[in-house]
Amino acid sequence: MKTLLKLLLFTTTIYFNPMVYAENIKPPFGIRNYDIGTAPDFILQDVDGENFALKNTRGRWVFLHFWASWCGPCREEMPAVQRLADTMKDDLTIVMINTAEDEDTIFEFLAAIDVELNSLMDVDGLVTEVWKPRGLPTTFLIDPDGKVKYQAIGGREWEKPEYMNFLKQLLNQSN
Amino acid sequence: MLNIIPILVVIANMQVVQPVIIQTAELDIELTPRTPNQMGSFYEARGFPKNMLNVLKKQCYVTIGIRNKSDQKIWLELANWRFSSAGKPLKREHRDYWKKRWQDMNIPLNKQSTFRWTLIPETLDYLPGEEEGGNILLPFTKDFISVRATFATGENKQGKEITITTDKLFCAEDAQ
Repeated sequence: MKTLLKLLLFTTTIYFNPMVYAENIKPPFGIRNYDIGTAPDFILQDVDGENFALKNTRGRWVFLHFWASWCGPCREEMPAVQRLADTMKDDLTIVMINTAEDEDTIFEFLAAIDVELNSLMDVDGLVTEVWKPRGLPTTFLIDPDGKVKYQAIGGREWEKPEYMNFLKQLLNQSN
Repeated sequence: MLNIIPILVVIANMQVVQPVIIQTAELDIELTPRTPNQMGSFYEARGFPKNMLNVLKKQCYVTIGIRNKSDQKIWLELANWRFSSAGKPLKREHRDYWKKRWQDMNIPLNKQSTFRWTLIPETLDYLPGEEEGGNILLPFTKDFISVRATFATGENKQGKEITITTDKLFCAEDAQ
């Protein structure tokens, strides 16, 4: 059944000149400026057993999403994240991190809600501890230079125009 | 009233106790006592080890939900919350206390992590319109609990201080 889960951790050969990202872009409700500097790096395995290193995403905006299966808003938000991935996968790297659950739980959950998102497994919760999301779900937006810029709190309807336009502005600023 | 954090959604179906609701011009606050079995069931379903459950089932749980209704930042700092019962201070243990306790008991890291998610953060800045919450754990008491909490406001905590009080909080018990 793992073949049903397609890997959505994209790498790219597109790199950009150093620049200041996300200046003068006002985030919509639920997304706060979170300018904490360089994103803490990590290497985690996904549900297919593949290693993923955050540092390899440089050159693209990263949508870093923390979730757990017991978290109701995570379940509700997941289809919106899937649609976002479907729409923006060519420009935005979607990285899902499950916090402190085992592989079977993660796999069963993703299959049950019928999304094709892969997820990294922070089995001990230690990466989550470093990132300190305010709650679950939480999404961090990381710019192409590897700097954390925004934190989205709670479930967001990512396909709504205010969020899509915001993300498109970020991506356009990079181009 | 408040749609708080994931854990509250999970627990909502088990709720049998009416919350204590405090409203000011700036804040909506709900304090909802949870019984040991309510919380124990949640933790047990997450595979918490028995020795951890034995400790957790002896605690007094209160779910705190806070919504910022104002147009400025409001700061939650649990260090500025005072609890008392029967005229005596009631000590709320800091999340670091629980971290050390679980470490001393060699509780698996993933269970420690899940437990931490059920706690409200020690400090949190609420943006206008934001609502967040989580649990606090108090020593169990059969008497009513008084609460006095203060919140700083403004970007640099230099705005008007907000104080809320109640003497109607209590520890929920499971039916015998």
